[in-house]
Amino acid sequence: MSAHELAQKLVKELSRTYDEVAVLLIETDRTMVKLWNSEPSVVQSWLDWEVMLRLAKNKRMWILRFRTRNIDQILESTGRLIELADKVEESELYSPLPEAQVCKPLSDVYDPAIDKFSEDPSRLVEVLIDEALGAGAERVAGMISLGKLTKTLATSRGYECRESKTFVEAYARAFRGDFSGHWAHGSTRVNIEEVRKVGRIAGKYATITSSKTSITPGKYKVVISPLVVGNLMNYVGSMASALSVLTGFSFFAKYKLGDKVAHEKFSLYDKPRDATLPGATGFDDEGIETVDKPIIENGLFKSLLHNSGTAGRMGTKSTGNAGWIYPLSWNLEVSGGELSEEELISELREGLFITNNWYTRLQNYYEGAFSTVSRDVALYVKNGKVVGDVGRVRIAATFPQILSNIQGSTCERYDIWWWEVRTPTRAPYLLLEGINITKPEV
Amino acid sequence: MAQLEEVDETVLHRVVDRGRSLGASYVEARYHDNYGYSVSTRNMRVLGVEYVRERGVSVRVIVNGSLGFAATSDLTKEGLFKALEVAVTRARAASRLRKTPIEFSEERLGVAKYSVIEKKPLQDYLTPVSALNLLLETYKQAASTVKEAKLAVMTGRVRVAIESKIIVNSDGGLVKSVVPRPYVSIGSTLLHQRGTIQRYAEFGASGGGEKVDEWRVPEEVSSELARLEKVLVKGVKPPSEKLDVVLGQEVVGLIVHESAGHPMEADRILGREAAQAGESYVKPSMIGEFRVGNKYATVVEDPTIPGSYGFYLYDDECVRARPRYLYREGLLYEPLHNRHTARIFKAQSNGAARSMNYASEPIIRMSNTYLAPGDMSFEELIEDIELGIYVKSYMEWNIDDARWNQRYVGLEAYLIKNGELAEPVTNPVLEFTTGWFYSNIVGVDKNLEFYPGTCGKGEPSQGVPVWFGGPNVRLAKMKVGVLE
Repeated sequence: MSAHELAQKLVKELSRTYDEVAVLLIETDRTMVKLWNSEPSVVQSWLDWEVMLRLAKNKRMWILRFRTRNIDQILESTGRLIELADKVEESELYSPLPEAQVCKPLSDVYDPAIDKFSEDPSRLVEVLIDEALGAGAERVAGMISLGKLTKTLATSRGYECRESKTFVEAYARAFRGDFSGHWAHGSTRVNIEEVRKVGRIAGKYATITSSKTSITPGKYKVVISPLVVGNLMNYVGSMASALSVLTGFSFFAKYKLGDKVAHEKFSLYDKPRDATLPGATGFDDEGIETVDKPIIENGLFKSLLHNSGTAGRMGTKSTGNAGWIYPLSWNLEVSGGELSEEELISELREGLFITNNWYTRLQNYYEGAFSTVSRDVALYVKNGKVVGDVGRVRIAATFPQILSNIQGSTCERYDIWWWEVRTPTRAPYLLLEGINITKPEV
Repeated sequence: MAQLEEVDETVLHRVVDRGRSLGASYVEARYHDNYGYSVSTRNMRVLGVEYVRERGVSVRVIVNGSLGFAATSDLTKEGLFKALEVAVTRARAASRLRKTPIEFSEERLGVAKYSVIEKKPLQDYLTPVSALNLLLETYKQAASTVKEAKLAVMTGRVRVAIESKIIVNSDGGLVKSVVPRPYVSIGSTLLHQRGTIQRYAEFGASGGGEKVDEWRVPEEVSSELARLEKVLVKGVKPPSEKLDVVLGQEVVGLIVHESAGHPMEADRILGREAAQAGESYVKPSMIGEFRVGNKYATVVEDPTIPGSYGFYLYDDECVRARPRYLYREGLLYEPLHNRHTARIFKAQSNGAARSMNYASEPIIRMSNTYLAPGDMSFEELIEDIELGIYVKSYMEWNIDDARWNQRYVGLEAYLIKNGELAEPVTNPVLEFTTGWFYSNIVGVDKNLEFYPGTCGKGEPSQGVPVWFGGPNVRLAKMKVGVLE
């Protein structure tokens, strides 16, 4: 049974019992090569099929997720739910499914070249390894993943739409001695030059210094790379979800639309319509056409991300970001500035250049209080020149502090997608001032 | 067995046999079924009811020394054979890039069947309706307990998860298992003119509804929020001088998970996770040689603890599980191994290969990790402290990618004055290295407690259920930071 046939049949059958039905089918064909010590550790493949249902009866709402094509099993599983319709309370996030819009999938998100590389990604793997080693690294770890994803959405409101896209994700971590560098890229298109660039930049940072130095904890001017910007903005994007605000797990809960939340040079957008970024899509999980939108623009808080339920709860309209329960960003884009990377480092004069980070955790989401640890080289810069690697240090701050203390950014931006940046993010290097840096003092 | 088997083991044997005929030196077929449901709430309202049925088969092969993995939810014979062929073909294509062949250690593999006993059958006891009632009761009790501050919002989630597996491999392993797990999480935000405080509390175990009874969720959450209200309303900044520090069991559990469990994963030691979860300060030559701490630094990893959240009796390579000493009186003692790393270390696997679901590769994971307790009481542990701090719980934490430099920010914390707990302390910051922590334990009490967590690792990232725990631990004097 095709996805179209299964979706139609499920809508028809379930509409006999439920007031509203939405069916979302995701078909995936994906290959991933994981690298270890400059060779593959494992080649993984997924030939997968996921069926998700949003069912509503008397304003009670159920979300079901299956990994099966067996329609009888799906229908059997839904049968018992109806018994709960009078026992479970109305969902606070229930809102009627929207009227059917015209189906407008994005048309330029499919790259046929993916097929060739999926069957044998060796060429891409070799390029990634060779570029990093060519830049002076001694060994390389990383990952290349390629694939196709087709989503089909059908609702009892008469909406049906289908969209196919391709994606490539590549990242490398290059090592020389005690020093390492990392870079990443994500796109809907496979471009061997971009994969080459990932290996090259990872190698560049692994070899940018052979000196170690030390700093004392305190306030510093800091340049953060697009990897770090991507990681932090993923948290900001997540906290821009209206459900994060409703549940108290967002610093945006303290602000009203229009409030100043960042430096005027800073803007952050949700960009589902950007066909080059791998989160691109023409319609959300409720069948609403997606739209690019500012979350923060010129420092002002412009929009939360809504589905119909959160929009109804907060007296506004959906922004096309469903998630049936949790509204989510599709792609994030941070505004760029006018400087080159070298000019930004020069502008730093004295401070830290943090090339990568991980393990961002929050003490308090409502306040946005967090810390994150550097990984790979974190460089102490004096008089615009690199002095050496300071080892692992932390940025310990609040998101409002980070956003307000932005002093500059590069014009060139990079499309980042990797293990620590799960929502694809187009990001520049950012210069921040007065950032609290900590490390153990025992 | 509690769950129905959709794939018969004979089908998996056929996949294994066919894989061998296609040239694979090793073939493993795993049917993995994750079934469950959850109810989530915000204050007194339902957010959603979710049902999940993820089941499929993964195939893992070694071809020409290259490791391949493929997963599918298409359980027809054609679907399984297609996944097998993809795994074999793509592993073979990548084999020309491998310099050294991947091989597994020789092991005596299990042929076994086990399931966790549910004294109160979980799905009958914790229905969506009873789960909702538990969350509503928790909110009601908590809201009436908090007096001076305001319980601005409480989110709750109850989840029932049943994990069933059939694993067959070409080295003779055949293991069937069913593990049911109840889980509850409660997120709370308290507001006061002095600021806000947030807590994310979790309860998790393997077993039936009896576990949920034991947790006494409404009472425990309300009691904790009452204490956190005092921290918010009356908390003082930690003193600036060096202090005796006593860490509560939850904090100790997290520390040993992060700084003993993860760095002793052999795949991480060898660099297999270098670009994702990172490497380790531990190098192969340090095992059995390097002393990271003192006599109190004994950390145990044990998947076989009955009722534990990380419970299993055989790993996903059909190797029998057993307790292991990661650190023993300060010595780096035994890493966590799968059959691949055991071969490289010239050791035997100690059964640490786990996968999150059918779509996940088995990799080295922790299960239940704890610091060994001592024999003194908590009162004895703190009785001679003139001025110190007791950090009972945390929210923020992190550790570097070599598992050496770490930070924990206390949530519920108190001053210790003249051997007794005194006024609450706000957001104390502890930053130290792994070597400093394990070398500066000066006492442990006898009160071993465990806490649930979901440990992330792998690519794609896999979250697996674990417990971490320990006794209360007293450290040498250190400077405690302040959250700015």
